[in-house]
Amino acid sequence: MRMQRTGWMWLGALCVALAVLGVSGGLPSGSLQAQNARGTLVYGLGGEPKLLDTGDSSDNNASIVQAQIYNSLVGYKPGTLDLVPDLAVSWVPSENYTVWTFQLRRGLRFQDGTPFNADAVKFNVERWWDLQSPYSFANAGRTHVTWRVNMGGFKGQPSSVLKDVVVTGPYTIRFITQSPFPNLPGVLAGDGHFGIASPTAVQADGPKYGSPSALPVGTGPFIAKSWTPGDRIVLVKNPGYWKRGLPKSDGLVIKFISDPAAQLADVQAGTVDFTADLLPEQLKIIQADPQLRPVFAPTTNVGFLNLNPAYAPLSKPEVRRAVATAIDQQGIVDAFFGRQLAVTNGHFTPPVMSWAWSPKVTSYPYDPAKAKQMLAEAGYPNGFDLDLWYMPVPRPYFPTPRQVAEAIGANLSAIGLRVHLKTEDWAAYLADGEKGQFQAALYGTVESLDPGYAYFVRFTPGSTHDLGGWTDPKVLQLLNEAQQTGDRAVLTRDYSQIDEIVFGDAVRIPLVHTKLLAAAHRGLVGWVPSPFGSESFEDISKATP
Amino acid sequence: MTGYLVKRILGVVPVLCGVTLLVFTALHLIPGGPEVVLLGEQGTPEEAQALRARLALDRPLPVQYLAFLGQVARGDLGTSIMSRLPVAAQIAARWPASLELVAAAIALAVGVGVPAGIVAGVRRNSIWDSAAMAGSLLGISIPVFWLGLLLVYLFAVDLRWLPPGDQISTALASTLRPVTGVYLVDAAVRGNWPAAADVAAHLALPAVTLGTIPLAVVARMTRGAMLEALSQDYVQTARAKGLRERTVILRHTLKNALLPVVTVVGLQFGTLLGGAILTETVFSWPGLGLWLYQGILNRDYPVVEGGAVVIALTFVAINLLVDVSYALLDPRIQYG
Amino acid sequence: MSRNSLLTRFFLSLSSRLGVVLAGAVVVVSLVAPLVRPYNPSVDVHFAIRLRPPSAAHPFGTDSLGRDVLVRVLYGLRASLSMGVVAVAIGLTLGALLGLSAGFFRAWVETTVGWFSDTLLSFPTILLAIVIVSISGPGLVHAMIAVGIVQIPVYARLGRSTVLSLREREFVQAARSLGARSGRVLFRHILPSSLPPLIVQATLSIGIATLEAAGLGFLGLGAQPPAPELGAMISGAFKEGYALTAPWTMIFPGAFIVVVVLAANLIGDGLRDALDPRSLARH
Repeated sequence: MRMQRTGWMWLGALCVALAVLGVSGGLPSGSLQAQNARGTLVYGLGGEPKLLDTGDSSDNNASIVQAQIYNSLVGYKPGTLDLVPDLAVSWVPSENYTVWTFQLRRGLRFQDGTPFNADAVKFNVERWWDLQSPYSFANAGRTHVTWRVNMGGFKGQPSSVLKDVVVTGPYTIRFITQSPFPNLPGVLAGDGHFGIASPTAVQADGPKYGSPSALPVGTGPFIAKSWTPGDRIVLVKNPGYWKRGLPKSDGLVIKFISDPAAQLADVQAGTVDFTADLLPEQLKIIQADPQLRPVFAPTTNVGFLNLNPAYAPLSKPEVRRAVATAIDQQGIVDAFFGRQLAVTNGHFTPPVMSWAWSPKVTSYPYDPAKAKQMLAEAGYPNGFDLDLWYMPVPRPYFPTPRQVAEAIGANLSAIGLRVHLKTEDWAAYLADGEKGQFQAALYGTVESLDPGYAYFVRFTPGSTHDLGGWTDPKVLQLLNEAQQTGDRAVLTRDYSQIDEIVFGDAVRIPLVHTKLLAAAHRGLVGWVPSPFGSESFEDISKATP
Repeated sequence: MTGYLVKRILGVVPVLCGVTLLVFTALHLIPGGPEVVLLGEQGTPEEAQALRARLALDRPLPVQYLAFLGQVARGDLGTSIMSRLPVAAQIAARWPASLELVAAAIALAVGVGVPAGIVAGVRRNSIWDSAAMAGSLLGISIPVFWLGLLLVYLFAVDLRWLPPGDQISTALASTLRPVTGVYLVDAAVRGNWPAAADVAAHLALPAVTLGTIPLAVVARMTRGAMLEALSQDYVQTARAKGLRERTVILRHTLKNALLPVVTVVGLQFGTLLGGAILTETVFSWPGLGLWLYQGILNRDYPVVEGGAVVIALTFVAINLLVDVSYALLDPRIQYG
Repeated sequence: MSRNSLLTRFFLSLSSRLGVVLAGAVVVVSLVAPLVRPYNPSVDVHFAIRLRPPSAAHPFGTDSLGRDVLVRVLYGLRASLSMGVVAVAIGLTLGALLGLSAGFFRAWVETTVGWFSDTLLSFPTILLAIVIVSISGPGLVHAMIAVGIVQIPVYARLGRSTVLSLREREFVQAARSLGARSGRVLFRHILPSSLPPLIVQATLSIGIATLEAAGLGFLGLGAQPPAPELGAMISGAFKEGYALTAPWTMIFPGAFIVVVVLAANLIGDGLRDALDPRSLARH
């Protein structure tokens, strides 16, 4: 008898507990509705930025956050690579493109009240360019790789494109370069990396600037209010923002969610308004949910397959082209990305730079029989051994590298190659790749400012360590020529020629250019992702529920 | 007793040295370093070398090791290379999350496992016994990550009763005023019941996932200990005296039976704090295990070294606590 | 304990019988599978039928490359069966050697081995295994070795305590007083008597070791593609985003891990009951 009564008690308690849990599942959304009406956007970021200082990181997570806090001298028309004025109202080159004069916007202040002027800009530029500057924090671990890659090198190095930066008036600043540099404004637009920070804040905070204990200060639409490591960054509207009427929302919460499944689940639950960097597989879920709409963010990335000519069988271009012909590139795109999220077309440069494409270049045809024949003609009728390396972590150009590698492995096995799939963790992968130790490897470029950059960073002698130092002199010559000119017709001609040469060389076989899958609540308007993942959210608003 | 304690505490030092030496050596044996991770795909070997020098990582290893030991002796656990935050601060931030998860898992393990084990032991060879033992056997045979995914699929995707991951809904997170850092406690202390319920809902699946194996282990242990205790002579004596079965069990056997269980629970607590990485991965739970794993992947040496020291210390401290409580609970044991 | 009575006692318990049957079934299936349904992981890629739910043609559905999940699971069984056994064998051999030496020779050997064991034990096992595999690079064999190394302190401690209790026994004293060399005493007399508790621990650990190795596979550190390891299959489903939309890709591999570990645990329990006379009292 006693047991029975206690038994019912427990059952009752269990029911109550479950009921509470079930009810509480509904409660959060209630409070969210209230928060929505107050106009705070919640963005789910797939990872945590390491630092929010400018000029430094190749950290995707940082650039989107920086875009809310900082402005650059030059901006982009939303969703494109077209330059528009931002903190600089105009820029004029000298005849030979060695001197650029920028006129800056007047009458605006940083979020901490410091006036914005040419001296502030010079302060920022020197931080990125001069490693000896006390505010470069190079000894505290800042890499400044973005500057080095885009501007050739640092102050005092012969490779540095920049020769001097001079303030010629309170709102006029002049960049003087060693050699003609038509692309300077594009570089300074900097895909979000070259935001202008408040000199007062940088000087006051020292190397800690840009970390959770020393929040970044810029001129942008949102002010960083707090950064809880491992959790979120809370920003509020900048009341003194120099663009009238913006931002359209009162505040912004950027929540770090490391897992795409959790990111999407949060958007579905309504606790997050929009998020990016989802996996291609999740498109089905988004399309099935009437509350959500998919957003396809353009990128400038390229995912490619390295074929290292230092490995004997791959030293012959015929063999490399045979390998390219054996890969079912469209099949891989359809299976693992979907046509809305990726294209494969044989061009090394991305679709947003299609003006640089050659009409003669198309995808390598998928023809295993022909590939086998090409191999035999090149002297490998029985195939050869090949170690195919892939990275163990998702990258924007290969969100699921393992599957792509397995598919390529299957394709190559079908033409007689004995493929061994290999991987190691990301740090080791990068280190070994740089040393040229891989025979074949999946790799990619996360972003390129323009076609010149895209080719420079993968086909010039300083950047082909992973290919055993391979170069093509014709490519170098064309790149040199392109760097000197600002004439679009000449650039188009040069770049399309490079397109053809690189296609024939087949040392880096471009497999995909991806778009990144993002998701937003139906009520969200005004979001136009940038190809660099660094668009500001100032134009975004939520329709009241 | 104090002599014993002093001896034990002094014994911690060589173990800590061993841990730091092991971790330091192992970490530096792993190919690649933080400099390549910082530079990403665009880095060149020259740049990596230069950055390594700027990070002071090209000093001879023994020098670096001694520098680290000196730091630890001064109480400084170093600064993360990736985030430039002090390691100690990061541990302090992730600790409450780990504690919450592990405490919930252990609470489940003890709350369900001990009664199940007692019932199984008392009603030996009955249907309860068989059910409990079969269940425990199954419990120690299930991979944690699979169980987690299954539970997420069932309760979060299929039935939609519970959330799939994370600690708290984004909406309610801003209503939490941190006191201890353990969200459940913080919410309850302030009477913030919507947040408390939300946190409990988020905690449910990860706690069940992490707690299943400890639960099974505790149940089996308890049963075995109960059987052992029940077969003792003094139990027969008590029964012969005519004492009620319940009194026999509760008064005489339980205390002795629970001793080995205390050890097991203590050990589980220690290992789970830093070792719950699989559960933390499946549920995106911001705990210490996942943080350490990221540290290894990023080659963030200070993070892994500092984290290892703290975890080893915790483990040793828990061991000591368990041994002391043993002495307190069992009058027969004396530490001279 | 004579051989006969050991085996008899072993098969007395239900769990032993179940365990042997289960293990036997798994072994048979994994051996027979390649004959019934050959599998060439490189070639069997069919994008058109990727991520299909279970059907007559594919009872466990297809994975993200269009490969049959049932076939992959059956092939993966072999790795899962051997993972735990090999890892425990490594841990047992190295650990027992260290432990026996520590207990027998005492002095600095004991101190060093003790310090080494305590150090290893202060670290969560999975993190230690991750570090080891990071050094060696991922792979099935490396994962097994890592899990094995992590087990060493357990056997070292057990070996040491067993030897300590054995060395005062009469037969050991007798051998020494007769002038036998240390090594002879160790190997001829102590080792055989210390085996039972070590073996019991080993069989109980096989299940844990299999789970830990599968855990490493889940983190991507175990067997490498295209080899179908059960933990790695679940890992792929999770990391590539289809674990919850195509759950068959993770449910079946996991279920079979459970079967393998369950078999190991059943046998382990049975063996412990057979070898440890005290536990007979519990049945």
